[in-house]
Amino acid sequence: MSGTSAALAATREADATTASAVKSLQADGRHADARERFAELVARHQRRASRIAYHYVRDAAEADEAVQDAFVKAYSHLATFREELPFDVWFTRILINGCLDRIKARKRRERWQVPMAATGSAGFDGGVERDMTERVPSSGQSPEDALLARERRRQIAEALATLPERQRAVFVLSQVEGCTSREVSALTGLNESTVRVHLFRAIRKLRTLLAPSTLAVARDEKGKRRVTS
Amino acid sequence: MSLLERLGAGHLDDRTFARLWVDGVEHPHLSSCPACRQRYTAYAEWIDDIGSEGRAHADRMFPPERLAAQQAQIFRRLEALDRPTRVIPFPRASRVVIGHQSPMRRWMVAAAAGLIAGVGLAQVVDHSFFERRESAQLSHFTASEANQRASAIHPVSFKDGDEEFLDATEALGPRVKELRALDEFTPHMRDIDTRK
Repeated sequence: MSGTSAALAATREADATTASAVKSLQADGRHADARERFAELVARHQRRASRIAYHYVRDAAEADEAVQDAFVKAYSHLATFREELPFDVWFTRILINGCLDRIKARKRRERWQVPMAATGSAGFDGGVERDMTERVPSSGQSPEDALLARERRRQIAEALATLPERQRAVFVLSQVEGCTSREVSALTGLNESTVRVHLFRAIRKLRTLLAPSTLAVARDEKGKRRVTS
Repeated sequence: MSLLERLGAGHLDDRTFARLWVDGVEHPHLSSCPACRQRYTAYAEWIDDIGSEGRAHADRMFPPERLAAQQAQIFRRLEALDRPTRVIPFPRASRVVIGHQSPMRRWMVAAAAGLIAGVGLAQVVDHSFFERRESAQLSHFTASEANQRASAIHPVSFKDGDEEFLDATEALGPRVKELRALDEFTPHMRDIDTRK
């Protein structure tokens, strides 16, 4: 068993213990204690949940709300959670369903709204939300490196945003979150072979959208940093 | 190495690399061709780089302060879940709202019921009284005069018709007892001979 999978197994075991403790506290009517224990689950999964939600809805504020909704829903429906399923899979499924509902609602809204002017709204750049740390100069990078890194991030974010919804979801879950095809299948409700097909198509599309030179720059930078350190 | 050279030498293309990477299998050619092995390693690194860049980008969007605020908001909502629902009082109505059990309501209902019953009773009693009197008159007229009228048909005269109507009305007399004395002082049509 590799280090990553051992860590994952340990996390899942801890999740199962915490979830069953919260369930029994809820059943006893000790809500304050239940909330306190639930905080452990929130702390463990919040960052990952925010990443997944962000890649789905492509808007930080909306991702924030989607994560909140998912945790509140998970807490209030914890009685229906079965311990034989990993908590992260169950919770991520709630989160993804919420994100998909938000995307659907947004599409319905957009159908009735007049499109924004080409200038776009504040905080967005060509449909991709601007990185919050872009305005803060990085301490370890030269201005040129910072500019290149920013450009690279923008290109990748744009390329990921161009992918069809399912391809993006599968790519993000498997490549960004490191889930296996089986886990992605459990999370998205797609067949395992369908997951592989979507992943294959996503990679092919990203390959055409992103010239390999873009990431070669990233590797060069990493190499440079290793040499200087 | 150009694409044509690669095809000629049986080298693997990007499509095959993608397939191999997704399925997580090893191609026999990769162990025998260092060039393809190198290209495949670069390809896998490229995919991993996209993943790590995507992760880093999302993480930068959610700095610790933002996550702390999100967590606080989650717990506020969870606390609200456990609290009983607060009923917001509706703004006071400008008109007087009468409750189900108020004595005023009971009086109003009783008054309305009395009014309806009174109107209904008056309608029924009045009608039956008139109907009885009129049917009695009609039967009287039809019995005594119907034969005479049938035998001697006079030309139609409005004057005669009016007088007959007035006679009939007078024959009924006052319905109210108190008015009978007054009625006796009043000259009647039957006492005045208009034809003279």
